[in-house]
Amino acid sequence: MEATSAGLEMYRLMLTARRFEEKSLALSHAGKFSNYHSCLGQEALGVGACYQLERDDIVFPSYRGIAVRITRGFKLKDLMAGLFHKSVAPTRGRIPMHHTPNIELGVWGTTAMQGSIPPIAAGSALASKMLKTNQVSICFFGDGGSNRGDFHEALNLAGIWKLPVIFVCENNFFAKSMPVSRSTAGGSIWQRAASYGIPGELVDGNSVLAMQAAVRRGVERARSGDGATLLECETYRWEYHSTEGDREKEWAAGLDEWKAKCPIERFEKVLLEQKLATRTDFGRIGSAIDAEIDEAVAYAQAAPDAVPEHALENVYR
Amino acid sequence: MVREITFREALREALHEEMRRDSKVYVMGEDAGHFGGLVGVTIGLIEEFGAGRVIETPISESGFVGAAVGTAVRGFRPVVEMGLGDVVLVAVDHIVNTAAKTNYFYDGQTTAPLVFRVSSGFRPSGGPQQSQTPEGVFANVPGLKIVMPSTPYDAKGLMKAAIRDDNPVLFFEPKQLYNMKGEVPVGDYTVPLGVADVKRPGTDVTVVATGVMVPSAIRVAAELGKDGISVEVVDPRSLRPLDTGTLLNSLQKTGRVVIVHEANKFMGIGAEIAAMLAEEGYRYLKAPIRRLGSKETPMPVSKFMGEYVIPQPRDIATAVRELAAYQ
Repeated sequence: MEATSAGLEMYRLMLTARRFEEKSLALSHAGKFSNYHSCLGQEALGVGACYQLERDDIVFPSYRGIAVRITRGFKLKDLMAGLFHKSVAPTRGRIPMHHTPNIELGVWGTTAMQGSIPPIAAGSALASKMLKTNQVSICFFGDGGSNRGDFHEALNLAGIWKLPVIFVCENNFFAKSMPVSRSTAGGSIWQRAASYGIPGELVDGNSVLAMQAAVRRGVERARSGDGATLLECETYRWEYHSTEGDREKEWAAGLDEWKAKCPIERFEKVLLEQKLATRTDFGRIGSAIDAEIDEAVAYAQAAPDAVPEHALENVYR
Repeated sequence: MVREITFREALREALHEEMRRDSKVYVMGEDAGHFGGLVGVTIGLIEEFGAGRVIETPISESGFVGAAVGTAVRGFRPVVEMGLGDVVLVAVDHIVNTAAKTNYFYDGQTTAPLVFRVSSGFRPSGGPQQSQTPEGVFANVPGLKIVMPSTPYDAKGLMKAAIRDDNPVLFFEPKQLYNMKGEVPVGDYTVPLGVADVKRPGTDVTVVATGVMVPSAIRVAAELGKDGISVEVVDPRSLRPLDTGTLLNSLQKTGRVVIVHEANKFMGIGAEIAAMLAEEGYRYLKAPIRRLGSKETPMPVSKFMGEYVIPQPRDIATAVRELAAYQ
């Protein structure tokens, strides 16, 4: 870890993602908005991966991208207004909050087609190469998405063209209700990297420091012209696939085991052990986050609804 | 200066000129390099522009179309070669779900200026998966533009306009027309997207034809002229956006219209054109609208079967005569 401030800042980002999600889930269950896809429990992954990236690096989040977006500097009130489909949200009620791009913050689009993002990220990396810039492209997708043909095609293209891209597989062990054990032959995703001639790594996705280190290795490779990296990061979501369903029996069976590996509690322990923070620090940070979230919810609820006619804008340029 | 070149050469010339004009334009696709692409359009490009701008891909239609979109949002203008055009259907996800929605998702932050070159239509020895004309599959998708030229002049001008357009454009190249010769100016000009062209003026019956059906319709018009039937042939050239004004003007003049395309008739683009003319031009109609399209079957491989399935000049002539005689 670099400095006290860096450690506490990563802690703050993880806790912000956690509290934002808890609030969003509560609002969704209360019927304030429909269908919320949570990444509760997966906070270390997005924060650790994105914390050290440069401002102009190019991030393609997955559908569970709250931690990624918060780390890249999204405002909570913009995300919350997006969940309420309000006109003041960057999405203006036109697309789901989970898709919100912000090129200034280096967060590019995602797609609702699970596993379709790796080729787009490979293309972005090709653009960096053609433009001769130093920008790294990084994309996030689930274990489920890694079984799509696009995964293979993108990693093959990244291999033959030596593209500056990092493929981050968020292995939370379930594609909705389908467990990796029944969906994924060979039992490993990271080992597939060998067939494309690129390094693959199995990462503790619930350790923000392990994530940071693994992505840093990928970034160094990419920036020095050595090409792509595949990271399989193990984690677990603490909620059903989305607030629309609660029929995932196999997933529910693994929940207690993984809640014991809470990424935030683990990081608190590290910070305390290394005397980089105190419990008082955690409490102070948490209170500030709660206030910010309350403000975001009030802002979103008070904001005017989406303007129907905006549906027709920017269909074409 | 104007001289005669083929449809294929006109496309190649457009690519050469646009790549010289704008360093962000590049070509990508299977066999696009020294081989010159499966339909020979990209011959000579790699020699002039190098492998950095004529990018040969493995057989990965979904992967490289997705990658092309990834470069487009970063400011490039890829022209993606879809080989024998039916493979465009392998890449539907990144065309319909990714490219077509890019403007909408980014809401003005960036665009997806891509051209997908799709060779289409009957091909001897092709068969059901190498002879399709699938423009209708894409024409129902907001966010896409659809172009189908019928002359070398339009091919060059529309290709240049498509490359300069900030939206994803599906550019259909009727395979039967690649060797067609026609007058094409040397140097720069564009044919704007969304503007139809009256290929032959007439007063009795309008034939709205697309792609390979345009030269057939012009031949039929010449023949029927001898019998005193004056046929106007209109080529929409762009199917989305559709130039409804030119089509309605022609209907206003003739009051009778035959629509003909190579794609299957059911749910084909002709259905949209017929519906539009009926909705907006019903006052002008002196006879029922007639539609001609391929019979409802996958495209067979045999030439004799193909001629049976695809509308032929005699079918166009019969439809025009019937409408001309309609009281």
